Amino acid sequence: MTKNVHVKIDEMKTNVGLIKNLELSIGKVVNDNYTEPMGPTPMPSVTALRDWDMKLLAKYKAFYMPDCDSCCLCTFGKCDLTAGKRGACGLDIRAQSSRIVMIACAIGSACHSAHSRHLVHHLIEKYGRKFPLDIGGLNIKVEAPVTRLVTGIKPETLGDLDDVLAYVEEQITQVLAVAHTGQEASALDFESKAMHVGMCDHVGMEVGDIAQISALGYPKADPEAPLVKLGIGSVERSKPVIMCIGHNVVPSVGIIDYAKETKVDDNLEVVGLCCTSHDMTRYYHRARIVGPISWELRFIRAGLADVVVLDEQCVRTDVAEEAAKVNAPVIAASEKNCVGFKNRTNDDTNAIVDDLVSGKVKGVLILDPEKVGEVAVRVAQAVAPVRKRKTILPTPEEIVTIAKTCTQCKLCQRNCPQDFAIPPAMKAAATGDISLLTDLYEVCIGCGKCEGACPQKIMIHSLIVKAGEKAMYAEDNLCRVGRGAIQDTEIRNVGSPIVLGEIPGIVALVGCSNYPKGGKDVYEIAREFASRRYIVVLSGCSAMSAGSYRNAEGQTIWEEFPGGFEAGGVCNVGSCVANSHIAGAAIKVANIFAKRNLRGNYEEIADYIHNRLGAVGLAWGAYSQKAAAIGAGFWRLGVPVIIGPHGSKYRRVLLGRKEDPQNWEVLDARTGETVNVGPTPEHLFNIAETKEECIVAIAKLCMRPNDTWKGRSIKLSHYVDLSKRYLGVMPDDLHLFVRTMADVPSTMKDEFTKILAEKNWKETIIPDPTLLPRMVRKMKE
Amino acid sequence: MSMFKDIPVEVGVIYEGERIRRNDMQVELGGPTVQQKFELAKVKPLDQIEDGKVTIIGPDLKDLKEGGVYPFGILIEAAGEKLDAGLEGVIERRIHGYLNYIEGFMHLNQRYDIWIRIGKKSFQKGLNNFEAIGKVLYRLFKNELPIIEKLQVTFITDPAKLDQLTPEAIQAYETRDAKARGLKDSEVDTFYGCALCQSFAPSHVCVITPQRYSNCGAISWFDGKASASIDPKGPVFAIQRGDMINEEKGEFSGINDAARQRSMGEVNQIWLYTAFDHPHTSCGCFEAVTFYIPEVDGMGVVQRNFKGATVNGLPFSTLADSAAGGRQIDGFHGMSIEYMRSTKFFAADGGWNRIVWVPKEIKEKVKEFIPKDLVDKVATEDDAKNIDELKAFLKAKNHPVVAKWTDEEPIAETAAVTINEDAAGTMMPVATAGSLPLMAGGFKIILKDAKIYANKVIIQTVKDNKDKR
Repeated sequence: MTKNVHVKIDEMKTNVGLIKNLELSIGKVVNDNYTEPMGPTPMPSVTALRDWDMKLLAKYKAFYMPDCDSCCLCTFGKCDLTAGKRGACGLDIRAQSSRIVMIACAIGSACHSAHSRHLVHHLIEKYGRKFPLDIGGLNIKVEAPVTRLVTGIKPETLGDLDDVLAYVEEQITQVLAVAHTGQEASALDFESKAMHVGMCDHVGMEVGDIAQISALGYPKADPEAPLVKLGIGSVERSKPVIMCIGHNVVPSVGIIDYAKETKVDDNLEVVGLCCTSHDMTRYYHRARIVGPISWELRFIRAGLADVVVLDEQCVRTDVAEEAAKVNAPVIAASEKNCVGFKNRTNDDTNAIVDDLVSGKVKGVLILDPEKVGEVAVRVAQAVAPVRKRKTILPTPEEIVTIAKTCTQCKLCQRNCPQDFAIPPAMKAAATGDISLLTDLYEVCIGCGKCEGACPQKIMIHSLIVKAGEKAMYAEDNLCRVGRGAIQDTEIRNVGSPIVLGEIPGIVALVGCSNYPKGGKDVYEIAREFASRRYIVVLSGCSAMSAGSYRNAEGQTIWEEFPGGFEAGGVCNVGSCVANSHIAGAAIKVANIFAKRNLRGNYEEIADYIHNRLGAVGLAWGAYSQKAAAIGAGFWRLGVPVIIGPHGSKYRRVLLGRKEDPQNWEVLDARTGETVNVGPTPEHLFNIAETKEECIVAIAKLCMRPNDTWKGRSIKLSHYVDLSKRYLGVMPDDLHLFVRTMADVPSTMKDEFTKILAEKNWKETIIPDPTLLPRMVRKMKE
Repeated sequence: MSMFKDIPVEVGVIYEGERIRRNDMQVELGGPTVQQKFELAKVKPLDQIEDGKVTIIGPDLKDLKEGGVYPFGILIEAAGEKLDAGLEGVIERRIHGYLNYIEGFMHLNQRYDIWIRIGKKSFQKGLNNFEAIGKVLYRLFKNELPIIEKLQVTFITDPAKLDQLTPEAIQAYETRDAKARGLKDSEVDTFYGCALCQSFAPSHVCVITPQRYSNCGAISWFDGKASASIDPKGPVFAIQRGDMINEEKGEFSGINDAARQRSMGEVNQIWLYTAFDHPHTSCGCFEAVTFYIPEVDGMGVVQRNFKGATVNGLPFSTLADSAAGGRQIDGFHGMSIEYMRSTKFFAADGGWNRIVWVPKEIKEKVKEFIPKDLVDKVATEDDAKNIDELKAFLKAKNHPVVAKWTDEEPIAETAAVTINEDAAGTMMPVATAGSLPLMAGGFKIILKDAKIYANKVIIQTVKDNKDKR
């Protein structure tokens, strides 16, 4: 879209005609190559898709698990909401729980959108409003599927993204307003609004990622994006190390550019933690990915960072104190995370460098990314030889001495979110056996809560890290650089194998690293499904964890499997904001195969995806509000999401009732008849307590009402096999998934026949499924 | 798996993607280093088959040296009341899938190109005899293809026997292919429809005839026949051909009726052999798309994996989008590569005489099916990267479409207009005429000292009206 155009042509000759002294003034030029007709809900308000939400919420009922029984959001309270009691405002515990869910989703959505807003502002300032968006060249026709679907806008330049973000920002404000005391009364409406703001979250994420892909020259939907180094052991410790933590790549770009300009890039390590590291490697393949959020403390305490640069999101708020202990200066580089430092943005660079190198100040706030770049590089070079990798990790001898001060009070274990057996490990360490501490290194998520609980002030986490040092420095693995979007042509390629059942489903492993037993579960889950020729998509911390292990041949998952959106492919879409491409791929399926219009046509597309696309999201270590928002965006599209054991702290799940036949009725768009299609998919949002349970749930949740018989029989084969293999049982609900005998895997005919007879199974049909009466087709005369 | 409880390893679809590396293999059968290898299915009279018999000619699996590579043959002989030789190919292609169901058994390719590895682990578990493998094949065939009443399996490892049988097998494939390609739409009374794609493209129905493969390239008329007879209620169904309404265009009353019914009246008329007026609908997973090029009055073809822009400047993704979604789009047609080998390939539009541009990858694949005098006249991406180059190429080679060109060639000159925008005065091109075909012809527009003001202008891409005949 272009505003205030003025054209003046003095003379122009063409074959068609002659033009002299033409002047044209136009208020607004809408470059409407976007000929797709506008659907019913462009830029939907908070209630525009409420009917759709209510359909989903009737099918998948909210089950509340309040993490907290009281509400203390206003001074009427604090109100006790137990045992059916209502608060001073009249709200009950169901509504309060859903209200907290909605607030979490709004925070998450705000976080991504504010990040995208900063990126778009910054990139427009640097490259201009007219800078064209290009996220996949000729292989992508639908460049911004989520944006098109939700807003009806087809963005073509950086400037076009302004209007898109303005919509998202308004919606977040509207939803946040609902959280005020004495507003929304119904739990269901809070749920609907949580989905609304989750949907907006995907728009916000998409805007940010397509802006940075286009302007910063990231890989453009490239299945063969390069492999980069991953893990603490991959960092060249002989060079000065700049460690960037967070999610917003802009300051890191400043650092990398300055290092390249001054030709010190070969003598400097720029490493990243959390999603910033993904985006750094998308920009600069020599950058290193240290690991997920949980690696912050171990990296700093081991003395590996010479300068720590903080941008935004998922940055530990005690980094400044931790860094100070090892004499590493800190640069805060985001308005959202100023860390209490003095704003030195407008100060002389030399003065800032001097202050940091001399230790006069522990940290500074610099809001100019280019200045961050220069300061970080110069300080790292000056500080590294002086710091000499100063560490606060104990020596092996000290471990024993310190462990002896442990009184076995067990408060550490009680405070450990994973309930790890720290006291026995301390007991053994006191006798000189650190093997139990070493074991803990492999599973510890590095939150450090054990230390806060210890009355003896033992630095338990440091002991664990030291005991695991060997493993830590052996972390020298690979990650595929975030590829960005999925190509339209890749989606066409998988059409036939999905229809014919050769690809049993799409599994997206996303989210953070609040894993119950370390990251290996993520690797094993991803590998299990890739080996079975599912399409596996990863992002963020999950992509890092999956790359941190090797197979028997010594290959990481990124070497073992191709990086395409294909049977047995393992894709890394990129950082947090790149999660939008996963939703985008689902949306494009509807556009590409059924030619469904996307523009402002949310409900129809969600109905299509929900009933047809066998995709499942897994956020095994989800901890953040952003993860909640991403999940909510998938729920509204009707895509089921599984979370790990910590996910129960999100306070509620959305569960289908498989025993209730009415729950599973859809309309056959061919005839208008109601057909029971069984629990496909069974849940919209559920928890898996163990890796084993999770794997079986994924296989089951890939089934959809439209599955061809071939597709269903293959999906059932995997479901049965995984259930037997991991849980040691034959599933007890197989009869709910068989529509005709052709659905039965041919190698299991005898077993199925017996089960179906016992369950009094009856044959049914495969409909053209929809939840929307308006989608029922009428015979044209 | 009660069906296979006497088989020493597991059998199931989950083993399909299994790869066995050289270090893990007990033996390799066939493969790139071996000349004599084949797998063949034969339909025989009922009285010539001993149901369930497994024969091994030559040494058994356990007698083959560990790590060795051996010539190998598999012969499946089937009989049944409703079976005929036309279904041999369908039966044969199932061997690949079934053998891969076996844990620790890798089967690649087909026909005279088979490549098998048996894993050490499975061998040690007891998969050390062909009898067990034969049993698996037998049970799966009988279970999945009930039209097979009797079936026997023969494995051949004896080199002398393979020397004799391999050329016979190759002869059998050639005869079968020639027969299949020779079969004409006019010679059968039943076509097949496939509604598998409806799970994602609800308004699409593929019509599969002897001379027209399914759009995805996965289902031939013989496959359709087999599927429909095995599961008449399934997604592949018989269409009675009905009356031939238009022989040239390929219009049949049975197809029209089926289309009307299955598409809920969206599609009422289908012409099989043309890309114009009432072409076959295009799903989403077609292998290639044909597109009309009005500037030369010819057609181009581009396949899914073609990187870059085609001769008209548009990549596959855009062209495919123009055709897809179960619609009939005049001048755009999603199809299989195999259709290019058919003598009915756009026969009503002139067939290969109308094809002007094809990427060299598919040209190579279908070369022997292009009329000899045309092979060099069809441009590839090496010959023409844009319409001007294409015109020049076709003219130079005297492609048949050139004869139809008139003197008035369409005008598509580029008017380079720049726009002053905002106070900052950033320059940007607004229009590229390549994507905006000018509709005016025969008159001139003269604007002098004109001033035009507008609050809002919507610029839309205009599709030109082509003369397609």
